[in-house]
Amino acid sequence: MSNCFKGIVASLVLGLAAVTAAPAQAEDISIGGIFPLSGPNAIYGEIFQSSLRLAETHIRADHMLDGNLRILYEDSQALPQQAVLAMNKLVSVNNVPFVMSAFTGPSKAIAPIANRTKTVVVNGGGVGPDLAKLGEYLWNVIPLANTEMRSLLPYMVKERGYTRFVLVYVDDPLGEGIREVLEDQLPKLGANLVNDYSIPATAQQFGGLAANIRNDRPDVVFLASYGDQQVQIIKQLRQNGVLALFASYSAFSTVQALPEAQGALYATQAIDFEADDPFTRHFVNDFKAAYGKMPTVYATNYYNAAMIFAMLGKELQAQGKPITGKNLLEQRRKTKSFALVGGSVSFDEQGTLIAPIQIMEVDDSGGKVLKVEKP
Amino acid sequence: MFVYLLNVGVFICVYAILASTLNVMIGYAGVFSLAHAAFFGIGAYVAAFVAINVSSSLIAVLASSVLTAGVLSLIIALPALRVRDEYFVVVSLAIQILCVTIFSEWKGFTGGLGGIVNIPLPEILWGSVSTPMQFFLLALACLAAITLIIGLIVRGSFGRSLMAVRDNESAALALGKNVALLKTLAAALSSGLAAVAGVVYAYYLSFINVQSFTLDTSVLVMAMVIIGGSGTIFGPIVGAALLTVLPNALSYVSFLPQSEIGSIQQLLYGLAMILMMIFRPGGIVGAGRSKRSGN
Amino acid sequence: MVLLQLLINGIQTGTIYALTAIGFALIFGSTRIFHFAHGAVFVIAAYMFKFTFGDLGLHWTVATIAAVSAAVAAGLLVNLLIYVPIQRHEGSYFTVFVASFGVVIVVQNAVAIIFGRGFSAIETHLSNAVEIVSGLFVAPLFGIAMVCSVIILTSLHLILTRTHVGIALRALSQNPELVRTFGLSTRGLSTYAFALGSALVVPGAIFTGAASGLTPTIGLHIMLISLVATIAGGVGSNWGAAWIAFSIGISENLVLWRMGPQWSEAVAFAFLLAFMIFRPAGLFGLAAAR
Repeated sequence: MSNCFKGIVASLVLGLAAVTAAPAQAEDISIGGIFPLSGPNAIYGEIFQSSLRLAETHIRADHMLDGNLRILYEDSQALPQQAVLAMNKLVSVNNVPFVMSAFTGPSKAIAPIANRTKTVVVNGGGVGPDLAKLGEYLWNVIPLANTEMRSLLPYMVKERGYTRFVLVYVDDPLGEGIREVLEDQLPKLGANLVNDYSIPATAQQFGGLAANIRNDRPDVVFLASYGDQQVQIIKQLRQNGVLALFASYSAFSTVQALPEAQGALYATQAIDFEADDPFTRHFVNDFKAAYGKMPTVYATNYYNAAMIFAMLGKELQAQGKPITGKNLLEQRRKTKSFALVGGSVSFDEQGTLIAPIQIMEVDDSGGKVLKVEKP
Repeated sequence: MFVYLLNVGVFICVYAILASTLNVMIGYAGVFSLAHAAFFGIGAYVAAFVAINVSSSLIAVLASSVLTAGVLSLIIALPALRVRDEYFVVVSLAIQILCVTIFSEWKGFTGGLGGIVNIPLPEILWGSVSTPMQFFLLALACLAAITLIIGLIVRGSFGRSLMAVRDNESAALALGKNVALLKTLAAALSSGLAAVAGVVYAYYLSFINVQSFTLDTSVLVMAMVIIGGSGTIFGPIVGAALLTVLPNALSYVSFLPQSEIGSIQQLLYGLAMILMMIFRPGGIVGAGRSKRSGN
Repeated sequence: MVLLQLLINGIQTGTIYALTAIGFALIFGSTRIFHFAHGAVFVIAAYMFKFTFGDLGLHWTVATIAAVSAAVAAGLLVNLLIYVPIQRHEGSYFTVFVASFGVVIVVQNAVAIIFGRGFSAIETHLSNAVEIVSGLFVAPLFGIAMVCSVIILTSLHLILTRTHVGIALRALSQNPELVRTFGLSTRGLSTYAFALGSALVVPGAIFTGAASGLTPTIGLHIMLISLVATIAGGVGSNWGAAWIAFSIGISENLVLWRMGPQWSEAVAFAFLLAFMIFRPAGLFGLAAAR
């Protein structure tokens, strides 16, 4: 028994020793990336990492920073609690001044930590409208849902004539954010949000939902979900006789290949991948060469985020200032505009990117652009 | 790196509190509950509510959380403990799942999946607890206090009566022990003190949401008690330390893919539970074979 | 019409629950073991079918045989390697329960590592609903599930009432002491119970995979329903368990008429709590007091 006890103590000590043996980084400049690397939303993590790999390569090759850029990834599984634990680790152990985040729920959860520790958090994927108001250290390089909807909804009501809307939204901050936006904007356009259905984030069975929706006889079924779940909703609703048009926010950019989603409408920020400025061409050509396909808006956002860090960091280093969150924020405020993929963009006072919106239709070749609206 | 150790230390203390208090039910009263995470959650949500809306004084928050959890546990335990032993597990399962649904849906109070953010720092007599070292000392102090309380109770007559009930309920009844009352008090004590873990957790992360209080957590705490050794004072603490350090230690094993660490950790402690039950039901700290008589 | 549609959905869900619950009730009734790992057997059967039918592309009969073999093997192995050793030296119900729970955790995570933690479905056009009457959509899968269930439940009834083993199993549920006095081996009968009970999860597993899809955690949910059903139905009564499980399936779907799906799970448990507190012996409890 005492031998066993000694064994336990020994393993505990070993465990703690293993835990303390983190390799020290001398010349590296580390930034963080909190993304879903596993679970039903892992596909987004893959997308973000694919373009960030490219960003790392470009930043190093162009010697933008004095020191090696290293991105430390943590798995959030797109859930708030994991994101908080990851953020704490990145801030207190790795001392990063800059973290990239995704999804509304996790980003909202880590915003207070960002503000308290003066660490910059850049969101490139979440679109919950609340994200604009979470403090000066939370920046958004993606237009938020209210901006997307301000273009999409009038198009659907005025130019397509749809008036009866039903909303299916996931029971989390993103879903609620979208519901608030629809409740706010639809009546003003003369359209009607006939019903809304909240679904748990883990739900996969939608037979009952289909029955209720058929009863509502909508013109449009608006979805606010993501990943595996949104694929299942689309398939099962169609399988169970819901024939209405589907519409969503930018997350629909990942369902291009789905036969049941063809013809669905969605809005994303407009990025002109055909722009001929060297920055855009560098990214688009290298992305196509590395991955064999055109980049999507989500992938581009994170490339841009890393580039923003590199540009600000370069300026700070030129001025002899240390790269801290506080200095990054100050420098961003001084910078009028950034030359990013797709053209030149600037931040508004709250730290959200001002960008044009495009309305798209799902087709199996990457989406058809129907209309572009300037901010 | 030292900060990281303090971070792990706080979590070890939080889970050790949970494991020790669950042990009062499992190890001493012989009542097997899977609802412990629900009371962890109740403690945390009440703490957050009071800290944000009323006062962030540590005493006030602790008192309200412990009282709320204790009273709720009393109300639930009174009817629930009337069922036979074996079935109480299932009833506690039902309570746990119902609580999770309430935590997810009562958004006004709990924030649902989005959770509660910006929980202020705890205020004590001479200032507020803000640095990692201070938080670690707070957590350690709570663990020490609770271990002391449990130790005293177990050695007293309440503890002895409890163990009599655990070992042979019919005999205890025959001897005139008020079995129902004893079990109910044990449940209230266990859940009330579990709320302390919720208070520390909520303050430390400054963020809580329903994900921390699901069945998975109840099972994890139960595994800590079983593997560490139920019915002993230090067993649960050992179990808590082991199972908290495990994922961190695992993430340094180079050939394991980062994204699978969570699954691997669960797989390992599931395996440990099985092997323990076959070869060493008393747990790491407990005696070789459990002295409990079979049912 | 919505209500009727939800009712039909509920019947399908209820049937799946009933099949799994009756398997669990059989095992628990005969052996008094809290065979929580029944949920793990469900997961194994479901993923085995998905693997052989979906990934390897084999014919569904081959896949079904694979699933049944995997399920029975799993059930028997758990009994042999885990329950028997524990019962040999100690066997308090809690020790067995914890070990069984451990099995669920191990299987769930092993499946998550091998197949991924996300959602998988068994792709088949049989789950495409057809509009039978205006507003009522039913998939061919529903019809198949109903027919299969009737066949299986009838066969089960015949086994339990006409064969020696079946009758012995029922006797074991009601009074194990008496069975031993008659010279029957409870150990041998337990093995039959595990084999039969585990095989019974397979239809439910296949239909769930085809109709609503699979995740590694689905075993836990189904297991909880079976547990609730067996206890509320009354230990010793297999049909009691089946009926309660069926009703839970129906209520889970009818709840959707007025409330969100978040409450579906809670319904089953509110059910249980009510029974436990007001009628602890269960609806059809037949077991002799132990």
